[in-house]
Amino acid sequence: MRQLIVRRLLQTLPMLFFVSVVCFTMIKLAPGDPVLSFVTPNMHADDIERIRHNLGLDKPAYIQYFIWIKEMFRGNFGYSLINHQPVLGQILERLPATAGLMGSAIALAVILAIPLGLIAGANRNRWADKLINFISYVGISIPLFWLAILLMYLFAIKLHLLPSMGMRTIGVESPLDVLKHGILPCTVLAFGFLAGYVRYIRSSTIGQLKEEYVQIQYAFGSKKSTILFRHVLKHVLLPVITLLGMSMGDLVAGAIVTETVFSWPGIGSLGMTAVKGMDYPVIMGITLFSSLMLIVGNLAADILYSFVDPRIKLKG
Amino acid sequence: MRKGLSGVIMLMILTLVISACSNGNNAASTNAGASQSPAETQQPAAGEPKDGGSLIIGVASDPVVLNPNYAGDRVSLTIDQALYAPLFQVNNGEKTFYLAESLTPSADNLTYTLKLKDGLTWHDGEKLTADDVVFTIDSILDEKQNSFLRANFLIGDKAVKAVKVDDLTVEFQLPQVSPAFEATLVQVSPIPKHIFENETDLEKSTKNAAPVGSGPFKFKEYKAGEYLTLERFDNYFGGKPHLDSVTYRIAKDTNAANLALQNGEINVQYLDPKDVATIQATNNFEILPYSEGRLAYLMFNANSDTGALAKKEVRQALSLALSRDELIQTAYTSSEYADPAKSFLTPDALYFTNDVTTFDNDAAKAKELLAAAGESNLKLRYIVQSGNKAQEAISLYVQQKLKAAGVEVELQNMDSSAWVQKFIDLKSTDYELALTGYIMGYDPDAYRILFTTDSSSNYSHYSNSEVDKLMNDGAGEADPVKRADIYKQVQEIIAEDAPIYPIAYTKTVVAVSKNYGGIDEAVLKPVVIFEDLSKIYQK
Repeated sequence: MRQLIVRRLLQTLPMLFFVSVVCFTMIKLAPGDPVLSFVTPNMHADDIERIRHNLGLDKPAYIQYFIWIKEMFRGNFGYSLINHQPVLGQILERLPATAGLMGSAIALAVILAIPLGLIAGANRNRWADKLINFISYVGISIPLFWLAILLMYLFAIKLHLLPSMGMRTIGVESPLDVLKHGILPCTVLAFGFLAGYVRYIRSSTIGQLKEEYVQIQYAFGSKKSTILFRHVLKHVLLPVITLLGMSMGDLVAGAIVTETVFSWPGIGSLGMTAVKGMDYPVIMGITLFSSLMLIVGNLAADILYSFVDPRIKLKG
Repeated sequence: MRKGLSGVIMLMILTLVISACSNGNNAASTNAGASQSPAETQQPAAGEPKDGGSLIIGVASDPVVLNPNYAGDRVSLTIDQALYAPLFQVNNGEKTFYLAESLTPSADNLTYTLKLKDGLTWHDGEKLTADDVVFTIDSILDEKQNSFLRANFLIGDKAVKAVKVDDLTVEFQLPQVSPAFEATLVQVSPIPKHIFENETDLEKSTKNAAPVGSGPFKFKEYKAGEYLTLERFDNYFGGKPHLDSVTYRIAKDTNAANLALQNGEINVQYLDPKDVATIQATNNFEILPYSEGRLAYLMFNANSDTGALAKKEVRQALSLALSRDELIQTAYTSSEYADPAKSFLTPDALYFTNDVTTFDNDAAKAKELLAAAGESNLKLRYIVQSGNKAQEAISLYVQQKLKAAGVEVELQNMDSSAWVQKFIDLKSTDYELALTGYIMGYDPDAYRILFTTDSSSNYSHYSNSEVDKLMNDGAGEADPVKRADIYKQVQEIIAEDAPIYPIAYTKTVVAVSKNYGGIDEAVLKPVVIFEDLSKIYQK
């Protein structure tokens, strides 16, 4: 198993290289220039050129890329073109916020999706199924930023139950305070996945209920809830694990929107700022980091798969 | 099944319990250090400022760098205004001295003597002296140090010299007479020599992360992406500030920031005119529109490949086809947030006059002028920033109005980065129209780079030798009466030549919670919101 994990991780290197080339090319092809962030009407053209030179932006694109990759091999993600801070430091500083938000959102989505999907599948075409389906459709169609503003308005402005933004109250260092600030962004991010998961689990449940082992349990007089949660659940969990691995990309995209709206200080909001300022070292750093997360997420899903169902062996 | 359901219900209850538990102190905690409710606050005697409490200002992004030699973005400049005291400020032509006690030009106007106040200290307790001022100017002028302000200290390509006379006196020696020098000095806030003197790269220095300034508030804490807090500096030379702390809360999404404002999580926030009614309806905020010394204008690119706008008559005709009042209504919803503009100078500038020739709202005359200029079936390209509502609305208006005058306008929507790149590229020839604006400060010499032949920011490629000469004369004219006459002439010539169509002197709208006083004394200021935060107090 260890060998396999190491091999799989090594296989990610050419993949990350490819991602970096594509990402760098796209940034360079896109219109805009990071130096524009500094330009004011009363700046002289000489100053603009001097800043461009000092940042190395007057060199050909391929040279800029090779400088970047050389630094990468030294373990240096470079410096932000805008605030001149090390990229890796900025990513690591914001990682806990993003990891906490993503982790809790996924956990919440799974915790809610499993019973809802099972209930919907077990009550096919009945009112419970129709209600859950309706909620799923709403969940798939609703834009995250709109849901975020709606919940903010309801829970912060109208009900005064929760804070509307940020990760903590100014000057307060308390896990409970962070938890309270995390409820709305976590709910919004989870909602985006919940709908998809519920629909997947529902279909899977419907399929499983037709299986022979379920009929046998019925024949033994087992209760429907026992059959669902003790027997069917095990089979339904497998595709959910695959789904989790595949969700990593969407999770990163969802986090960008959610973090920006809720002023959650994670990698997503850092990325948004970098894109606006054409800050390519930060964009590259975040893209590579997200790709790595995606790959590791999929690997983790595969490993988990083999634990849940020992019949499945991992092959490199 | 029952277990699963009960698990979900438990989770929901837990969530509600957590929020309910914390709800008891929610108002206090979300506003910790912010506005207290009226019931909790002891009312001070009328007009008497109270000490204590804090203020939360909403900002749209993280600061880029907390060093006034490098701050170019609105957020960094805003925070620096509280951290680093300036030498002096100018409002409506009147100087307010901060670190400086006086600034005296010599008889030949080639030397300015700056006297510092006695007993000035940095936040770390070190003395602030003439050495710090000289160090600041020298580091701005040092090419390796990459300061944006460097060009301002070059007069006719020669550098201004800052020389220490004694601990409290600095002499600025100018290579030639430059009445605009005072406006340059206004932008300087000294940085501490004892902190930075051995740094090879001031811009990237880690010392910028824990700034030591001389302003009313000192650095306390920065949580990237969340907030930055400053605390009161008791030895501030202007007197102990009233507030205990000021926090700049980062809220990137405008809608979310407005909700946080209503929820008391932010006490001061810029407002878009379209959001004013919503915030006003809460009755908890003072809505304060104030001039930023900004001109919004439609730019005519005389350098386009068609050459159409190189003709003065065509530019005048296009101006005649438009209505300033309708444009203001279209872009700013009300004249309350924008004053009609005719001069290229802004109302805060020295020698400003709006009493100049104007071309406005006369479609019939526009057609006549176009015909006289030999232009028929004129087609113009208008570059528009996608997603910028004011730009999009104005572009549609312009398209419609010019069509009535027989001019076809093709709108070219583009991403904001692409737009800026095209706009600032003086070689761009593939468009004729663009909406933009500038804030250039109070000295008219600053506008020289926008309107003199081949200068660095002459985006409309305007060229008039008379203007070039007058602008040059104005830069070196020490007599205020003669200078006023020069800039009055320049304003009239540029208005007549119509290289741009001035639309409005726009106002910034700020919402300030009614729980705070001292706003007038703090002075609303372009870009940085308040000139002196030490004056604000919690009612």
